[in-house]
Amino acid sequence: MKKQLLAGVLAASMVLPMVGCGNQKTADTTTAAKKDEEITCDLTVWGPQEDQSEEKGNWLKKECEAFASEHPSWHITFNYGVCSEADAKTNVTTDVAKAADVYMYANDQIPTLVSAGALAELGGTTVDNMKKDNSETMVQSVTYKNAIYGVPFTGNTWFMYYDKSKFTEADVKNLDTMLQKGKVAFPLSNSWYIAAFYTGNGCTLFGKDGTDASKKIDFTGDKAVDVTKYLVDLANNDNFINDENGVGVAGLANGSVNAIFSGSWDYDNVKKALGDNMGIAIPPTYTLNGKQVQMKAFGGSKAIGVNPNCKNPQVAVALAAYLGGEKAQKDHFTMRGILPTMTKVDVGNDALAKAQAETLSKASTVQPLLAEMGTYWTPAESMGKEIVAKTVTKDNAKEKTESMNTAMNTSSVG
Amino acid sequence: MSKTKIRPAVTVGAALTHGDWATRLSAIVMGIGIAAHRQIVKGILVFLLEISYIWFMISAGANALSMLPGLGEREQVKTWNEAKQIYEYAQGDNSVIILLYGVATLFVTAGFLTLWVLQLKQSYNLELKIYGHHPIRTFREDLKSLLNDKLQITLMSVPVIFILLFNIVPLFFMICMAFTTYSKENDKLILFDWNGITNFLRVLNFSGNLGKQFWSVLVWTLVWAFFATFLNYILGMILALLINRKGTRGKGFFRFMFILSIAVPQFVSLMIMHTILQPQGAVNVILTNLGLINSPLPFFQNATWARITVIIINLWVGIPYTMMQVTGILQNIPADLYEAAKMDGAGPITIFFKITLPYMLYVTAPYLITSFTGNINNFNVIYLLTGGSPTYVGDTAGQTDLLVTWLYKLTVDQQYYNIGAVIGILTFVILAITALVTYHKSFAYKNEEAFQ
Amino acid sequence: MSRNNIANTKALKKNTCVNVLVHALLIVLSLIWVLPIIWVILTSFRAEQGSYVTSFFPKSYTLDNYIKLFTDRNVLNFPKMFKNTLIVAVCSCGLSTFFVLSVSYCMSRLRFKARKPYMNMAMILTLFPGFMSMVAVYYILKVLNLTEGPMILVALILVYSSGAGLNFYIAKGFFDTIPMSIDEAAKIDGATQWQIFTKITMPLSKPIIIYTTLTSFIAPWIDFIFAKVICRANSDYFTVAIGLWNMLQKEYITQWYTCFAAGAVLISIPIAILYLCMQRFYTEGLSGAVKG
Repeated sequence: MKKQLLAGVLAASMVLPMVGCGNQKTADTTTAAKKDEEITCDLTVWGPQEDQSEEKGNWLKKECEAFASEHPSWHITFNYGVCSEADAKTNVTTDVAKAADVYMYANDQIPTLVSAGALAELGGTTVDNMKKDNSETMVQSVTYKNAIYGVPFTGNTWFMYYDKSKFTEADVKNLDTMLQKGKVAFPLSNSWYIAAFYTGNGCTLFGKDGTDASKKIDFTGDKAVDVTKYLVDLANNDNFINDENGVGVAGLANGSVNAIFSGSWDYDNVKKALGDNMGIAIPPTYTLNGKQVQMKAFGGSKAIGVNPNCKNPQVAVALAAYLGGEKAQKDHFTMRGILPTMTKVDVGNDALAKAQAETLSKASTVQPLLAEMGTYWTPAESMGKEIVAKTVTKDNAKEKTESMNTAMNTSSVG
Repeated sequence: MSKTKIRPAVTVGAALTHGDWATRLSAIVMGIGIAAHRQIVKGILVFLLEISYIWFMISAGANALSMLPGLGEREQVKTWNEAKQIYEYAQGDNSVIILLYGVATLFVTAGFLTLWVLQLKQSYNLELKIYGHHPIRTFREDLKSLLNDKLQITLMSVPVIFILLFNIVPLFFMICMAFTTYSKENDKLILFDWNGITNFLRVLNFSGNLGKQFWSVLVWTLVWAFFATFLNYILGMILALLINRKGTRGKGFFRFMFILSIAVPQFVSLMIMHTILQPQGAVNVILTNLGLINSPLPFFQNATWARITVIIINLWVGIPYTMMQVTGILQNIPADLYEAAKMDGAGPITIFFKITLPYMLYVTAPYLITSFTGNINNFNVIYLLTGGSPTYVGDTAGQTDLLVTWLYKLTVDQQYYNIGAVIGILTFVILAITALVTYHKSFAYKNEEAFQ
Repeated sequence: MSRNNIANTKALKKNTCVNVLVHALLIVLSLIWVLPIIWVILTSFRAEQGSYVTSFFPKSYTLDNYIKLFTDRNVLNFPKMFKNTLIVAVCSCGLSTFFVLSVSYCMSRLRFKARKPYMNMAMILTLFPGFMSMVAVYYILKVLNLTEGPMILVALILVYSSGAGLNFYIAKGFFDTIPMSIDEAAKIDGATQWQIFTKITMPLSKPIIIYTTLTSFIAPWIDFIFAKVICRANSDYFTVAIGLWNMLQKEYITQWYTCFAAGAVLISIPIAILYLCMQRFYTEGLSGAVKG
């Protein structure tokens, strides 16, 4: 039917989106146990290039084939596409109907993907199994409006890498102590990072657990203004460097920077720069008006989702669960160093895994998954950039903080 | 006197009232009039076109049109399948696609109506010709004329179809978006509705945040385009003059040095400029090491600095192009003009402003207009260099944002497609008027045939 | 006599002075223009990784960046991208050139009703920001069945050449300088318009043909916005620009920045060679067929 309609006539595929899922047929004809049902289908899977590189063992293909051999009655032809977790939003929403059936995404894209009709809700045994093995934080990272939209496979947050020859383990507990001893680079002009200072001091995004839209973003009063003032001082500190476009990692290598804030993706680079002197720690505290305040990084995850347009949701959901399952996570870790989310996956004595897990449990806030969160990013980034450019001073800190808070809570087209 | 026959005007009305049976019948069965008046092949072709239009309307077009007013109603429906333990989805309507295909169908229909008018007129025309014993072209002659007096049809139909498909239909699609609720506000990304001119009122409301930003961005866009165009033009020309002057040695070498920068893809050189001008970038580091500055220069951090920096970098990008483009034209300036000026004792600067520049402006006005409008839409330079920053807290548009880059932020990044479309249309209107007026006033337009 | 001599010497001195100044200025300017390019080239041979350096010259040199670009397929398949881009560039520049020449010839030499409206329309259509219509273009290509498999390359070719019919101003200016009398003479000899176009105008138009070819050859190498939308996840059909763009993403920039420079150098080479060979035609293309 498709072919015929598409044959060069412009408005023909009008009907396509309505044809949509052909899955009802299989749903009606079978009531038998799901594993026994014979299904022959094509399944498109998108993942980042590194998961598909032959040099690294082609994790994606390996797992998909293992999945297929576990389900002998399903005759699946896999098609693979390259789409990094960060690009999922753009690539999938361009044309949801033609996008992958199963794909990987960073969890902050859930609101966009859901409102584009690009993520199917998961339920039943899939969710039960997932919840059993993952921490509460990870489950929350894929929960949007009380529904679960994916299977997390790795945590996504940032922490601190430092030069052990410069700082002791006691030093790295406090940012101000570190600044007295060496150079610290922090991405202040990046809104994913700057929030750590504010949320640490009691500012909240959409209530305590970040799910209550009516509570709005609360960067108001002294709890926020004091932080802005602290950041003004920080930007004026000669030992502070604003980390942008990789200044930090490059600095570690030549000694002009002694500590940076980044995530697991920079592990190899830092290892190369510092070698045995590499230390990893959770984000430190900072001293605000004599008080120790713990920085709180945004915590999230990368997850595997299913496209509601797929022809065989049953197979797709099972595959998503498999790719986020124990064996796949273990392989992911050994083949590519992707940290698992499941506690039962043994990572040995891996410092990185330890730091990430500790950050997620002690020094993070869940990055809110709400459409309203969209207005957070630009004002926060502007604030960071203005602090770095020194156009925010102690004198106008109050006023600037207030206008940041207002902007965060109003639609940009208001 | 009596021999002169007044030929009745060939209009649709005349064809329908005064035409013979075949002409009138062709209002329904298209092409039959033409075929009956001795152009059989042509008539059949027209008829086939009608059939394919009808087939298209039945198979898809009618549906597309009928959905257009409502833009689709059905929502995606989700049902829990207990046996399989999964949610199953039945897809709903997608307003974007309905809108696009509706617009496309309107275009096809407009094309069909044009064909209807043309064939009717043609049939009547043929009828009159037969009546007046004028010769009628055979199909073969028609084909031949496509290579002679109708050559424009042969040469231009393919490019025009491309423009229709990839420029005009999308443009109308965008214009339509401005009258809908298509945005992430209230979650209207899949199903949206028409909402009249509400969006226009929002943008044009000067007291609102959006309205204020629109005007400030517009002013900067025009300032930018002015400097980017004219500085490039004048400096490029001076560079060309310097290289080509009599006393200069190694002309080829110098030209090579400047042309080299064209070969590096623009986005690469811009990304590199972006990195080396950062506070910790190569330029600042080198200047600090030399002891020339104490603190990094705020190339992209301070609004005024950033604006000047982007204009200067744009010069780096653009001057070699201008240099190459004007070199040939400069050599065409009649030598006697210069001689006369020299006789009058004019110095090189006077000569440049009194002779070279006016002559060049005279000849290259269309080029200037295209480069002016190109600069207004110069997405790459701003997006890759500053991304619009610095942005003041509370604004959506940065201090170096042009209307296009701001549009990009509002649509691609933030998904306010309707508001983006409104801004797009307003920009478009302002630009179109400026460009058309300037172009029509320009020498090159008025004296198009001066050289021929 | 002697006074004249003195005046001459003075003028000569002044000339030498000016000459020295002009040369000095040109040398400084060309340094400004060439330094960033030298920097790219040096970066492509740099052994230290990362995007930030504190010195102009690398501390040590290596060829690894080039080798990695062609052998490391972890992030991208550069040779394939290069091939894709080359195919797209060659085809689309052929098509664009044909479009530009056809349209500009019609606008310049033929007179018909739709001519002025077309010229006005073309002028305003180019003012319209292209990315706003990206989604519409994608769906139109989808209806034409051009968004899957190898057809993606066709889609890219169409997209890059689709606007060519609007950019006829420069070529039209060139045709305008060919005297009408040549056409008239041919017509008297019984030539059709088609013959005039192919046998008379085209042979006179080598410079503008080359100019048009050159300018349209470059687009596919540098556009990443449309290419990303049309290719989406079909990595087999990525173009070089997408690859280079990906190398600058946060996850890859530290390891891939020097390779990015190497890639930039590689794609600059063919373009540079083309420009150098065609430079003469480029300038002539803009200045008209018949010299004043």
